[in-house]
Amino acid sequence: MIQLAGIDYHAASGSTAWHRASALTKLLLAAAVLAVAVFARSITLLLAVHGLAWLLVLTSRMPRRLVIAAAGYPIVFSVLFVIGRWDGSWETPLRLLARPLTASLTAVWLVGTTPYPDLFAPISRVLPRSLGDGLFLTYRALFALLSRIERLWHALVLRGGNAGPPRRRLALAGEALATLIVHGFERSQRLYETMLLRGHSGRICGCRHYADVTRADGWVAACGAGLAVMVTWLWNAR
Amino acid sequence: MSHLHVPDGILPAWLWGSGLLVALVLLTWTSRPPAPQRLAYRGALGGLMLGAMAVPLGPVEYHLTLAGPLGVLLGPTGALQVAFIVSAILALMGHGGVTAIGLNTLILGIAAAIAHPTYRWLASALKPPAAIAAATAAGQLVAGGMWFVLVTTALRRPPAGAHGHPHSAGMEWFAALAVPLWLIGLLVEAVVAFGIARFLVRVHPALLPPPFGGPHTAAPAGEPA
Repeated sequence: MIQLAGIDYHAASGSTAWHRASALTKLLLAAAVLAVAVFARSITLLLAVHGLAWLLVLTSRMPRRLVIAAAGYPIVFSVLFVIGRWDGSWETPLRLLARPLTASLTAVWLVGTTPYPDLFAPISRVLPRSLGDGLFLTYRALFALLSRIERLWHALVLRGGNAGPPRRRLALAGEALATLIVHGFERSQRLYETMLLRGHSGRICGCRHYADVTRADGWVAACGAGLAVMVTWLWNAR
Repeated sequence: MSHLHVPDGILPAWLWGSGLLVALVLLTWTSRPPAPQRLAYRGALGGLMLGAMAVPLGPVEYHLTLAGPLGVLLGPTGALQVAFIVSAILALMGHGGVTAIGLNTLILGIAAAIAHPTYRWLASALKPPAAIAAATAAGQLVAGGMWFVLVTTALRRPPAGAHGHPHSAGMEWFAALAVPLWLIGLLVEAVVAFGIARFLVRVHPALLPPPFGGPHTAAPAGEPA
């Protein structure tokens, strides 16, 4: 939860060149890095792209705890997979760790340097309408719920919701979540009225800033060129 | 085990590619734009699902999914759309893979799709809290089984670029770790769903869908539940 809020805050308040670059070029670079990470057969290329992902994240001045949290999730899953796929070599575990970690770091770099309206606008244009609108509404709803969830959690702890056997604690947690469902239902009624008042035309349109190319996009282009060079030189390497 | 989102680069391309294709076909097929009121309700519950998934409850990043209760409240198509949106947002946060969005959506979506009719079928015989707990457990059972089949299928093939064959002991270790986690997850989700329904029955029973063949209650959020 803290990770989501922290990444969102960093995306909106950061001032690096990555933050000034357009969402569209960053999306294209992230997609290219992801494709290379997933399809590269050469371990040398994979490690080079992994280095590029770290370079992107570290130069975006993202708080360290957010980077560690983002990197931690794929590692947990990958370790399970490494255990299941153990073949006695060092290369297979390295591949299974480097691929998801590279993809995860790149995704966090993208989201941590791009405010969500700019990021979702191009994505929502290629999705069916209800999904595109749902992206905006769901993300917004999360932040409307964040403080409520925190208050609810404190109230649960203070009133003994954390005491007793697990069955009781989990059922109480369920009741607490149900208050958020009722709140969500009531909030959706208000949101609907607000949408009508503001002349909702049947589609939530993201802003068009996502394609505004600036000088900072030169850095994105440079990284894209670097990636192309890596792929050309290292595709057939060991 | 459906709470462990599959990251990028682990599964073979044919597996995540076909999952993405199936998910997109299903989503396009079921994407009739709902009433704005219903869309806002889906957004609110999607935000709750996202919040629940972003809070780790213990080791190995375990967290709730709420796929069962959301499936009961939103219906299979609404819950599938919410599952896609939540999987997409989480993937962008490095929590689950971008290439695996389709599979993660299908795994969450199947838990929701099974929970909804199971609840309506059971609600005529059981009280709503017991019915939703059983429906959630049924959904998680199938979704967890699907997750297990997908992952073990991937484990049998070498990742791109690798050539070695896995030791059978590795698969046994994997199963020994994954199956207990899946069963614990199933129980936790069912008990939380029980608590959710216990509260809704007291405070806002119209949010729960009616049982099959039962009296039709007031439709929440502009559309039948």
